[in-house]
Amino acid sequence: MSTALTLWRSVRPGPALGMSVAAVALALLIGALMVALMGVPVGEAVAAFADGAWGSPYALAASINRALVFMLVGLGFVLAERANLTNVGGEGQIAVGGIAATAFALWPPVAGLPFGLAFIVPMLGACVAGALWGGIAGVLKVKAGTNEVIATLLLSFIAVWMVYGSVQSEQLLRRPMTTSATLPESLEIPLATQLPLLLGDASVPLHAGLPIGLVFAVVVAVVLGFTVLGLRLRATGLNARAARRAGMAVDRLTVGVLCAAGALGGLAGACMLQGEQYTLKAGFSSGYGFDGLVVGLLARGSVPGVIAGSLLFGFLRSGGINMEMVAQVPTALVVVIQGLIIVILAGAALAIQRMEARR
Amino acid sequence: MRTEAVTGEAAGATSQDVAPLLRIDGLAKRFGSLQALADVSLALMPGEVHCLLGENGAGKSTLCNLVFGVHSPDAGQMVLDGAPYTPRSPADALNHGIAMVHQHFSLVPDLTVVDNMLLGQSRGVLDRKACAARLETMRERYGLALDPYARIQDLSVGERQRVEIVKCLVREPRLLVLDEPTAVLLPAEIEALLAVCERVAAQGCGVVLVTHKLAEIRLVARRATVLRGGRVVARSDAPAQEIDLLVRAMIQRDLQAPASPLTPERAVKQVAHETLPPREMALLADGLTVRDADGVLRLDNFTLMVAPGEIVAVAGVEGNGQSELGAVLSGMLKPTEGRFHIFGVEMTGQSPKTLTAAGCGVVPEDRHALACVTGMNVAENMMLDRLGRYKKYGLLDREALNRAARDLMQRFDVRAAGPEVAFGGLSGGNQQKAVLARELTLDPLRFLLAAQPTRGLDVGAVEAIYGHIRAVAARGVGVLLISSELEELLAVADRIVVLYRGRLMGSCKADPAERPRIGAWMAGQETLSTAPEEALA
Repeated sequence: MSTALTLWRSVRPGPALGMSVAAVALALLIGALMVALMGVPVGEAVAAFADGAWGSPYALAASINRALVFMLVGLGFVLAERANLTNVGGEGQIAVGGIAATAFALWPPVAGLPFGLAFIVPMLGACVAGALWGGIAGVLKVKAGTNEVIATLLLSFIAVWMVYGSVQSEQLLRRPMTTSATLPESLEIPLATQLPLLLGDASVPLHAGLPIGLVFAVVVAVVLGFTVLGLRLRATGLNARAARRAGMAVDRLTVGVLCAAGALGGLAGACMLQGEQYTLKAGFSSGYGFDGLVVGLLARGSVPGVIAGSLLFGFLRSGGINMEMVAQVPTALVVVIQGLIIVILAGAALAIQRMEARR
Repeated sequence: MRTEAVTGEAAGATSQDVAPLLRIDGLAKRFGSLQALADVSLALMPGEVHCLLGENGAGKSTLCNLVFGVHSPDAGQMVLDGAPYTPRSPADALNHGIAMVHQHFSLVPDLTVVDNMLLGQSRGVLDRKACAARLETMRERYGLALDPYARIQDLSVGERQRVEIVKCLVREPRLLVLDEPTAVLLPAEIEALLAVCERVAAQGCGVVLVTHKLAEIRLVARRATVLRGGRVVARSDAPAQEIDLLVRAMIQRDLQAPASPLTPERAVKQVAHETLPPREMALLADGLTVRDADGVLRLDNFTLMVAPGEIVAVAGVEGNGQSELGAVLSGMLKPTEGRFHIFGVEMTGQSPKTLTAAGCGVVPEDRHALACVTGMNVAENMMLDRLGRYKKYGLLDREALNRAARDLMQRFDVRAAGPEVAFGGLSGGNQQKAVLARELTLDPLRFLLAAQPTRGLDVGAVEAIYGHIRAVAARGVGVLLISSELEELLAVADRIVVLYRGRLMGSCKADPAERPRIGAWMAGQETLSTAPEEALA
């Protein structure tokens, strides 16, 4: 897969945009065909999909909230990718971010903090936790030469099980057991630590994480495109030995950029917990880290690409869930469509390369 | 010699009646906005060594790549032994009996010599023994010695090139194309290689030799073709007698001394390095020793002082510890033993960053691996070590960066369409000039290590590069020059030391009269009993 995606990365921006639109359209078409083959009226399924994705203010906001999480993870991926590092640890970074956000939010002094610090402190905690999680992979790479793909992926599994563990024990984050029916999950975090709703109305659940996330998108875009740091990351990514020879602190850049990517993943976890779920449960990260990874892969290093991709995936996820509920089309179809998009793009990139080679 | 007035002239119409082995007719190739080749015609005869001359970027490599099927031409055709020849890939070219040694190696560093030979040439079970035996016959036939089971990554650049050449020769090709094969070889090795060329040609095979080295033309070329700006500008049927004219056609200007472009106009300086206290030495290397992963001694107790303003040259056959010395002094390798000081400050095992801060400029041997990022643009590469200077409000000030780069490009005659052009698209000579510009403008620059700074460059570029190096030395910078071009070292250095198997064999003034002694040291002889002087002439 990595070879095909390397090819995809080398496609020029102009054709790439057209190819992306065509690939999405084609994948949706095949999806519709599969719906038809399942014996479900396509019109009904599409209506259910649209209804779930953007049919109501609530649905639209829910889609955007999902997209926000994908975007943050995708930004982390793109940032690390600039230094030729593949951060596949979004899932784990979300998980440790969620744990940290929960722990801070449930710590009594935090809820009493003024000026919005009550929700900012848990977010910062989540960022630090995520940074730590990403940084471990960076240190392993620098000190022991461990491939960051392996390290971030395995750290993800550890983090996902840490969520499971931390909601199993009352000494950790599990809510006090009152009856035998108490679920293994945390208490709901206090209102002050929840992310404020932008419109003050629960029927449009857009929350303060969105502007914060967009600010980070701008920051990442500026760092990559308009700073010396961005150039250094690029030099490190393209030729680490030459970068070292030119006096760049390649090891520090490696650890630093993985920390930053992890922090963005942690922030995504905080947004999920403090903005939507409010309680920490096993399976809290729900695979969003891997969707965000795919968004990052498809974005080819471009921040606008990350935003576009995360919106697409946000709509797909929301619409898919509604489609399952209303039209009895398994939500797994969404995963199929996502997979098709990747396969089509990689295939098209390969075809382009073959064509150019023949010329 | 004929200077081309009419292009597209039937190039095969030479006086001989022999049918050409390969006829090239009106080939053209364009890369983006660059017309790399335009209407090039020539005929290669069986049994002749044909020299292809031209400055960097003249289109020699492109022509070779078209013949070898790496690229396909935009226009023109080729005829091989009377049949149309349109190679679709290098594999196709090989099947037609055309073998090529590229400027850049295509070897797998992790594999052994034998495994590299077998790559792509064998199916099923690898018969390493048979291959090693074949290598042995190659050694007997051509004198190209190789350890069949050495790993490529442990070989020097010169040895790697030998593997490439042998890889071609085992195929017993009809046409052998050598793209600047001698750039990395030493005098004796070059002679051996030229002998190989002649032997191959004597068997009726055509040999194309791309080269800058005029002495080689004199020795082996039956005919020569000069390219400039992608066009054939001159041909010669007696190149040995027309060297001056060929050189003039190549660079279109007169050189005072074509055979040795470097005029040693500097009066040999009185270098007072004995009188200086050690801490005022630009470089003080004390017992530097490097053992490789296998415990083999690569650099053996290397001790040397370079005074400020002095140019000391390290001569020697490639693979005798020069690479290790360069790596240690540039902070990329920690010596097993010994230490070195730059102006009295110990730098052993310090990071490249610290070395740069201390004023050490480094032009590394392997430009692509260490000195540049080909995926970035010219300005970014020329300022790679000082990007932090070009900031405005915390952001990158690209305008200032480009301005500074443009200024450097002008001062060092780096020819590119602009500072934002991709570095990888520059010719080798311009890339090297860009790297040199960066390292020479280090602030402060107190010591310069230049390893093989002129490898593969044309005469004009060589002259320019040594001009710059001399200028910094005149300002009091200590220079350590590692090169296998003895003639250049003799012309440019104050003092020459010789490395042999990692050991310093001796040190003498850079005087052409010392050639016999230097030659003996390079061959590993302490005394002068049998100086292979003729090998170095």
